[in-house]
Amino acid sequence: MLIVRGRDIVRRCKGNPLITIDDLGFRCADVCNAGAIKTESEYILLLTIQTQAGFSIVYPARSTDGYTFDVSSTPLLERANEAPFATYENQGVLDPRVTYLEGTYYIVYDALSDHGYRLALASTKDFESVERLGLISEPDTKAGALFPRKLNGKYARLERPWAGGSIWVSYSDDLRYWGWSEVVMTPRGGFWDASRIGVATPPMEMREGWLFVYYGIKDTSAGPLFRLGAAILDPDEPHIVKYRTNVPILAPREEYERIGDVPNLVFSCGAVLEPNGEMKLYYGAANSCICVGTTKVDDILAACQESDKEF
Amino acid sequence: MLFKIGRDIFHRWEGNPALTLADIPFRCNTVFNGTPVKRGDEYLLLLRIEGQQGYSFFALAKSRDGFRFDVEEKPVLLPARDGVWGRYESQGIEDPRATCIDGTYYIMYTATGDYGHRIALAKTDDFHAFERVALISEPGNKDGVLFPEKINGQYVRLDRPIGLGTGSIWISYSNDLYSWGDSKVLISPRSGYWDSYRIGASAPPIRTKEGWLEIYHGVKMTSAGPVYRAGTVLLDLEAPSKVVARCSVPLLSPREDYERVGDVGNVVFACGAIVEPTGEVKMYYGAADTCVCVATAPLQEVVDCTLNHNSQN
Repeated sequence: MLIVRGRDIVRRCKGNPLITIDDLGFRCADVCNAGAIKTESEYILLLTIQTQAGFSIVYPARSTDGYTFDVSSTPLLERANEAPFATYENQGVLDPRVTYLEGTYYIVYDALSDHGYRLALASTKDFESVERLGLISEPDTKAGALFPRKLNGKYARLERPWAGGSIWVSYSDDLRYWGWSEVVMTPRGGFWDASRIGVATPPMEMREGWLFVYYGIKDTSAGPLFRLGAAILDPDEPHIVKYRTNVPILAPREEYERIGDVPNLVFSCGAVLEPNGEMKLYYGAANSCICVGTTKVDDILAACQESDKEF
Repeated sequence: MLFKIGRDIFHRWEGNPALTLADIPFRCNTVFNGTPVKRGDEYLLLLRIEGQQGYSFFALAKSRDGFRFDVEEKPVLLPARDGVWGRYESQGIEDPRATCIDGTYYIMYTATGDYGHRIALAKTDDFHAFERVALISEPGNKDGVLFPEKINGQYVRLDRPIGLGTGSIWISYSNDLYSWGDSKVLISPRSGYWDSYRIGASAPPIRTKEGWLEIYHGVKMTSAGPVYRAGTVLLDLEAPSKVVARCSVPLLSPREDYERVGDVGNVVFACGAIVEPTGEVKMYYGAADTCVCVATAPLQEVVDCTLNHNSQN
């Protein structure tokens, strides 16, 4: 039995989970995380689906209301056969994050191989086919997301290099060669995000700066706890954190978040901002289903700015 | 007592160690991992010094013969304390590698700070005034070496990113030395071999007619800790991401007392080499993280050894 609880800033949809393996027209092991974007006509989710063989691939799902999704029967991103991608995707492609930038949808995803995690970049016009543009990070960097516009004349991305478990920002003139990397925020000892952090949603432009949701991990004796928080970065110098929530905006509590292949996990790759000020935060729960939670953007902004309050 | 052992391809200079703590005109913990350049008839060696407080910085030594060096009175490059550079060099600067391109000396070194180690690039004309160019890698990366010329119009570097992965040597490209991409894995540790645990670039690549000769370090983990040796790989001149040959055996292994005993025992670790007009290679290496040594070999012998002992698995 599911109980809708009000104590997190993000409120769960009563219809959760939105997508489980029972909603798919094919066999697979798991449906994990989803990138999300709203186009002119529909809501798109890009689902990380773990095949029964064990590696991950990406399927698109479409909806007109943001709650009821049709999952495509054909994947959008499979492990590449062509060089140089094949070498770096032989263990899977996962956790796509979509950004609409200069009229094109760009997808930053994790390429996983014998050589570790790397960020890969692809573009799409219609979410039916993609063009791979490049492998854009060193190993073992994951959880990458593009900013939706250039900053100071350069493309920018957030990312999580392995060393230090922190969120970094890097810049590029051409989306191919990247540099000027700076640390943005680090795990906080004692907090819910004490062990590792990473970008969840791509940054969203607000009057106050760049708002994004991030995931924070606390390691326990029984394994990791994955929760979601939010932060606001300086509009022009995004390595400067203006606000960061002291408390998570969503933490695993429901059975579908507590029980699954990776229990005690809520993990997001995308959110949709509605014209009425509502945020739909799409998240994977326990690496086994896709859920949505909603909140007012103003409530998240307030949570960021009241970050000295603990309760 | 030191034994002269001839079974490695590289032959140790009989005066080794070339530099020890006793040669440094200021108090410090150790001197090791120096990178050499030859300007006219003068040899310069940019040295890694570990201070007594524990972090590293660079000093300069000069020589007329490439073996006997005098160390200058004061360090030439200290960790930055302010701004962006201060943020990433708060725990020191390490393992410089000098490359000359069009008359400018570029130094790739490891910046170490609270956010992990990363590769930094500085340039200098005289080894006294250094201009910091950029921090050019993500965290978790070190052992960066710059090729001594552009290839197909691009700057090229080798590096050693490490995270969850295996400690391989990678290759990256740049149009401007600031932003880097098209990264590919070049060579990985080989199970069972002397370089089975981790590898990393050591000397900046040397052009030979058979390919780019890269002297790299390979680590084998033992129950008593790591053993660091020096080996070679030849890369295609036009497409340096292609391996021509990789030597199955190390060309120098720790054997002498000064390589076995020190702050980090059982280490030989090169940061550069000079090729003389006679075809002799002088390889400069840190031994046991405690002193600086020189070893020599005919370049052709090193190349032939690499080609004749090729094993790429």
